Amino acid sequence: MLASLIHPRVLTALMLLLAGAGLSISAWQGPADAMLVPRIVLTIWCAVAALVLIGECAKRLPREGGGLSPLPLLMAAVLVAAIAMASLGFLIPILPLVALTLWLFRIQRPLPLVLGTLIIGGGLWFLFHHVLLIRLPALLTSGLI
Amino acid sequence: MTSIRTSGGTTRVASLTSLASLVAAALIGTSPSASAADTLDVVVPFAAGGATDIVARSFEPTFSQQLGVTSVVRNVAGASATVGTAEVANSEGNPNIIGYEPAGALTIQPSLKDLPYGPDSFTYICRTVSNPMFLMVSKSSDITSFQQLSDESQEQPFLYGSSGPGTLPHLAMAALTVNSDLKAQHVPYSGSGPAMNALAGNEIQIMADTETILENYDLRPLAVFAEHRVEGYPDVPTMQELGLPEMDFAVWQGVVAPKGISDERAQQYADACKATVESEKFKTFAEKAKAGIAYLGPDDFKAYVEQRVEANKQVLKDAGLTE
Amino acid sequence: MDVILAAAGDAFTWHALLAIVVGTWAGIIIGGLPGLGSVVGLTIFLPFTFGMDVITSMALLIGVYCGSVYGGSITAILINTPGTPQSAATTFDGYPMTQQGRVDEALGWATFASFFGGVLSCVLLIFCAPQLAKFAVNFGSVEVFALVCLAMLCIVGVSQGSTLKGLVCGMMGFFFSMVGSDPITGADRFTFGNYSLSAGLTLIPVVVGAFALSEVFVRFATRDDEAAKIPEARLRLPGLREIVRRGIELIRGSFIGSFVGALPGTGAAAAAFISYASAQKLSPRRANLGKGEPDGIIASESSNNAVTGSSFIPTLALGIPGDVVTAMMMGAMVIHGITPGVRLMADQAQTVYSLFVVLIIVNVAMLILSKPSIGLFRYLFKLPQGYVMGGIVMFSFIGAVSVRGNPLDLIVMALTGVLAYVLRRGGYPLAPLVIGMVLGPELESSLRRGLLISRGDFFAFFTHSGIASFLFVLIGLFVVWTLWSSFIQWRQHVNARADAVPSSGNRQ
Repeated sequence: MLASLIHPRVLTALMLLLAGAGLSISAWQGPADAMLVPRIVLTIWCAVAALVLIGECAKRLPREGGGLSPLPLLMAAVLVAAIAMASLGFLIPILPLVALTLWLFRIQRPLPLVLGTLIIGGGLWFLFHHVLLIRLPALLTSGLI
Repeated sequence: MTSIRTSGGTTRVASLTSLASLVAAALIGTSPSASAADTLDVVVPFAAGGATDIVARSFEPTFSQQLGVTSVVRNVAGASATVGTAEVANSEGNPNIIGYEPAGALTIQPSLKDLPYGPDSFTYICRTVSNPMFLMVSKSSDITSFQQLSDESQEQPFLYGSSGPGTLPHLAMAALTVNSDLKAQHVPYSGSGPAMNALAGNEIQIMADTETILENYDLRPLAVFAEHRVEGYPDVPTMQELGLPEMDFAVWQGVVAPKGISDERAQQYADACKATVESEKFKTFAEKAKAGIAYLGPDDFKAYVEQRVEANKQVLKDAGLTE
Repeated sequence: MDVILAAAGDAFTWHALLAIVVGTWAGIIIGGLPGLGSVVGLTIFLPFTFGMDVITSMALLIGVYCGSVYGGSITAILINTPGTPQSAATTFDGYPMTQQGRVDEALGWATFASFFGGVLSCVLLIFCAPQLAKFAVNFGSVEVFALVCLAMLCIVGVSQGSTLKGLVCGMMGFFFSMVGSDPITGADRFTFGNYSLSAGLTLIPVVVGAFALSEVFVRFATRDDEAAKIPEARLRLPGLREIVRRGIELIRGSFIGSFVGALPGTGAAAAAFISYASAQKLSPRRANLGKGEPDGIIASESSNNAVTGSSFIPTLALGIPGDVVTAMMMGAMVIHGITPGVRLMADQAQTVYSLFVVLIIVNVAMLILSKPSIGLFRYLFKLPQGYVMGGIVMFSFIGAVSVRGNPLDLIVMALTGVLAYVLRRGGYPLAPLVIGMVLGPELESSLRRGLLISRGDFFAFFTHSGIASFLFVLIGLFVVWTLWSSFIQWRQHVNARADAVPSSGNRQ
């Protein structure tokens, strides 16, 4: 019984309901005119999320085959790179991220890995930042990297 | 066929060169303004292609040429132009970044919101262009004078549009309703375009904006928010002439650098800006784009911004937009 | 007549044609790369136009714009990741067709529908611009509110099988669009004291996260499967008989796109969803929609490309830019001393006619260039999957940060990617998220403005104008129809269960 309650689908619905409820608190505290539409939207959100949650609990869901997967690692790497770019610039965080993506997608021999990282990560960065002059976040004030 | 010939000439050659460089850039990978170690970032706090961006992009090539550096226009848009402005302010001491700034981000938003910058976060370089604002109504309406507008608003208040809350069109009208008998309520739109659409559909009746808008959309000016009458509009009275307190609202743009840069660098910027504004190239552009060149040097510009900040603060307070 | 010939002469110079070819081809590629959309493409090319004459610069920008709107469909069909938000609705039927091995057919319909929509909207632009603009002016805040409400209802249509989950995602997207400054009072909302959030969330980083990044995460699980490999991209244009058979779908999609494009501030993504929703109600093959039916691709692609032509209607007739692209085009005109505005058509007839000619050539160029462009994507997707996924991650990052140069957008993209993965695993449809975000801002601001205009009386909306009343009646009918048909379905479902108890056949 408890096992079915901590099923990922139930947890997802619960998470959505809690997020909606939390944001509703903020909406009801704010000014009435600016928060008019947010209040309506969040009320619908919470009501529907509650219905979804009931639905997911009522359904008998099959157990999903768990097992360790390196996917959370990839997700965490994407997040860390995104956060780091504000201070480290674009190039330095993107290189390890691209390398990790290639590695996890089975490109593991050293030469293709390094070349792939340099071309996809470094080459495209150079193309946009220096050739097309679409400025990406930079580490140095001169904008060089 | 003659008109084809006239449109040719030098622009055609320039256009060919541009295209060739574009193709070359795509094929070989060289940029039109090749990157060097020291690139000057010109931050424009609006999306590419907007009214401010166009002026900035016409200003930038001559400016960087005068300065002897290569430069890149960076569009950092969002939150009424304050995000890009904050980016400039946050680069304290960085000699390779300037902002091409609109009036609102420098003189209205700091009083309206809690921002990471204030009027003293910048080294002021110059004001480039400035256009006075007009009070205008649709030509299809029968209103021809401010007095008539004010009288007719007594029964049923009019609606005035703006390009967003806390923008200059909003502030100018807010100041006018506070200081005169005119009764009008604010309806903000997401830019001048949608507001003009609403004016054409008679959803709103009044708008305050510049000569460009006035001419492009066939509107009728009733008064001008300036000290003196404006050239080309000898029949349009100033607010003072209508017996109202002086109201001075203009849409202007200027160049700022972050604070903490060396005096030498600031002087270089100032010289380059003056030379750019006075250059033939920029003058021709300004005439085409109906941007009124109104140069102010570093000290005058700083004083002007300070004075506008105070004036706008008062308007915001009077109109109940801030405490 | 002379002026039209002269205009054609302006457009048929070899450097204008070169600009069209370069722009359109680059546009298709940029649009096809997930993460990079129309705005990034135009920003890349804008600086080059400063040295060109007005026709060449407009040819280049129009080429990039039209090309990118079409290009978005290529990746939508091939890897379930719309290259641009405008093509999000193309995934509904495009990807199922790919899974069924009908990639060539799907790409063929996307290409032809894009071409058809683009050309038809050009024709409308040339012959009916003043009338359409006059009609569009009647759409004040209340009418726009009604129209957007009607469009919002398509959330129900596109979340097949799980209306409730679709609704949650729709509200989530709507909520995303409300973070930042309030459009009416300017007050900060949901920024929790964080200044960088006051700029709000924009569409591109959310779409990139929800589709491109989450697709990388989803494909991660099947990375060793031979069957999950990206199929080879081929193009087979539909035959004349097929086109005639589905002609009514093509025409309806193009008209919806043309009309939505003529309203300032709505845009191609909204048009595609509205058109898809109408196909769900009106297509003779509607039962198949969502399972790999070409009508779905036609609805989406013909309407989003029809917007490219008709977004010039408010620009040319009133001087009001309909979207970011027409705003850039107006900028290009200003630089060359042509003042856009109400008198543009009268004062600058030759320039305007050349623009029409350019638009038509661009659409033809798009049709011709579709084959080599798809060839390029075929080559790219033939690489080992790791490189493709690495490239998608890279372009997602570039696309998210270059929309408006705000590093916060990278974090938004990354978080949306993770969230979207969790939602996809939970069976939530993601398209409503995009619909909520695309339509939300317009819905909210038109409602609030309508309330200002009617002085706080919401019920005055229903009788505001004939158009408004008509649209509200249409909404009522739509709701009743949807409720009624789902009631019928539910009853059949219950009956079927009562008849055959043991079957667990949950038909969807």
